[in-house]
Amino acid sequence: MAHTLTAAPARDAGPVTLARQEQRFALALLAPALVLLLLTTTIPLVYLAWNSLHRIDLGMPWLSGFAGLDNYVKMGNDPRFWSSLWLTVVYTCSTVALQVVVGLSLALLVLQIPRGQGLLRIGAILPIVLAPVVVGLFWRTLVLAPDVGLVDLVTRSLGLGSYNWLGDPQLALISVIAIHTWQWTPFAFLVMLATLSTLPSDVYEAARLDRARPWQRFVYITLPLIRPAIVMVVIMRTMTALSAFAAIFAATGGGPGSATEILNLYAYRTSFSELNIGYGASLAMVLMGITLAISWLMFRLRRSR
Amino acid sequence: MKRHALRHAMLWLVAGLLLAVWAFPVLWGLLTSFKSERDVLAYPPVWLFEPTLANYREVLFGASSILPNLWSSMVVSCSATLLTMLFAVPAAYALARLNYPAKRASGFYVLATQMLPPMGLIIPYYLVLQKIGGLDTYSGLTALYLSFSLPFAIWLMVSYFEDIPYEMEEAALLDRAGRLRTLWYVILPQVRGGIAVTTIFVFLNAWNEFLFAVVLGGNKVRPVTVAMFNFISVEQTQWARLAAGAMLAMAPVILIGLAAQRHIVKGLTVGAVKGGGRR
Repeated sequence: MAHTLTAAPARDAGPVTLARQEQRFALALLAPALVLLLLTTTIPLVYLAWNSLHRIDLGMPWLSGFAGLDNYVKMGNDPRFWSSLWLTVVYTCSTVALQVVVGLSLALLVLQIPRGQGLLRIGAILPIVLAPVVVGLFWRTLVLAPDVGLVDLVTRSLGLGSYNWLGDPQLALISVIAIHTWQWTPFAFLVMLATLSTLPSDVYEAARLDRARPWQRFVYITLPLIRPAIVMVVIMRTMTALSAFAAIFAATGGGPGSATEILNLYAYRTSFSELNIGYGASLAMVLMGITLAISWLMFRLRRSR
Repeated sequence: MKRHALRHAMLWLVAGLLLAVWAFPVLWGLLTSFKSERDVLAYPPVWLFEPTLANYREVLFGASSILPNLWSSMVVSCSATLLTMLFAVPAAYALARLNYPAKRASGFYVLATQMLPPMGLIIPYYLVLQKIGGLDTYSGLTALYLSFSLPFAIWLMVSYFEDIPYEMEEAALLDRAGRLRTLWYVILPQVRGGIAVTTIFVFLNAWNEFLFAVVLGGNKVRPVTVAMFNFISVEQTQWARLAAGAMLAMAPVILIGLAAQRHIVKGLTVGAVKGGGRR
């Protein structure tokens, strides 16, 4: 807004017409995309909110109709909802924390390798470009299948025995967390590596002259310098974790039972397996509220620094 | 000196382990895709086996061929990419370079749409498309793909437009070249690289998409990510065929990803870097 009020340096056409001409041009370029976004995102969301106030049961269509806030009230007494909410918190926090810690440690380590960083960077790209659904299927069969999967081959040869990694409720949760961490840690690793290699070396030289210990250098120099990168990784990974779907769907389908059913999967199963779309819409509304609240909070945090 | 060598050896060991953990599942899948079903389930695993192309033959030309699915993925991904770029590039230029009222608000709106969880969009789309007979059609799925690729592409292109020096367009404007001519002949050639990278990313995201494809797809429009489930059921997993199918489905993205690996980090961090209000 402020830009338009400060007049551009006077040219022969006059500042007012030039500014107006620029505005008109901007509108012409921007309007098609904004209209398309409105049609493909905002209007569907309004329709979602409207549907969340209805009972829409594709299995029993004669029961469908306006239901007010019934769906939201129902959520309060739905233990499966609360369990999915809790699983979402566990899944999101653990995967994001693991990605940042593992990614940063690996980047610090790899930075000290004089040659071969390029090869590692290529290796890191592999998991990122794969479709999450393929990753989930790969892990379900080749990596985690009892007896023949890679992990079981290792545990069996070490004499630790065989486990049903995706069939046991607790192991299944750990497994889907491991899958997500495996796929996306390379992202944190690459961002950290890129950030670390741009840090000024003279600060470290001065610190070494002051006989600062390695951990002191890390805590007092490196960490503050890379904090923006860490915050950025945390924000982006949180968004991905909250809308994680395909890998869990492929690996466990949310099961066994509802052991790996994060809110996203619960909304899917309710809408498209149990065909209770009205209730599914209200679950999706909650998920959307959480996502938008967290992204708003994180951007506020980021800006205040 | 000896300590130094030991340290290096340790570093190499860890780095090698790292590479193995990331690359191994994919390489193992590649290996499995050339095995016969009998060799797949052998314990201990066989490293020396007679490689066979039977799995690929079956996956491509057999009863559950994924060729139609590869075609579906190609049609949806290409049309989504083309439409996205057509709308995103001009919008990004306006956001990056032009002054107009409510500029911050429009930028924030684009960013907010990028944050929307896909699950929130799929339900209304399903209900509407079901009513108007749009399920299992290319246009329905493509429209939904625009919802996530458009905000992403706009923000990535903004970062490329911002890198161009202002002097270029000022000089062109002083020469009384029209704004559109300036954009077309002076600005766009400068961001050719950015357009290429953005196109690649939009294509990758569309190709890998699963949730929208599985809900809105059907017998006619069935992207390859959904077709992976052809080889897996409660009763039986066709290991080697699944591996072969996955390799074929992922070959395009792996090749593109490796070719564009330098730009991957930049593409993945878009939105957070810019939208976070760096300035």
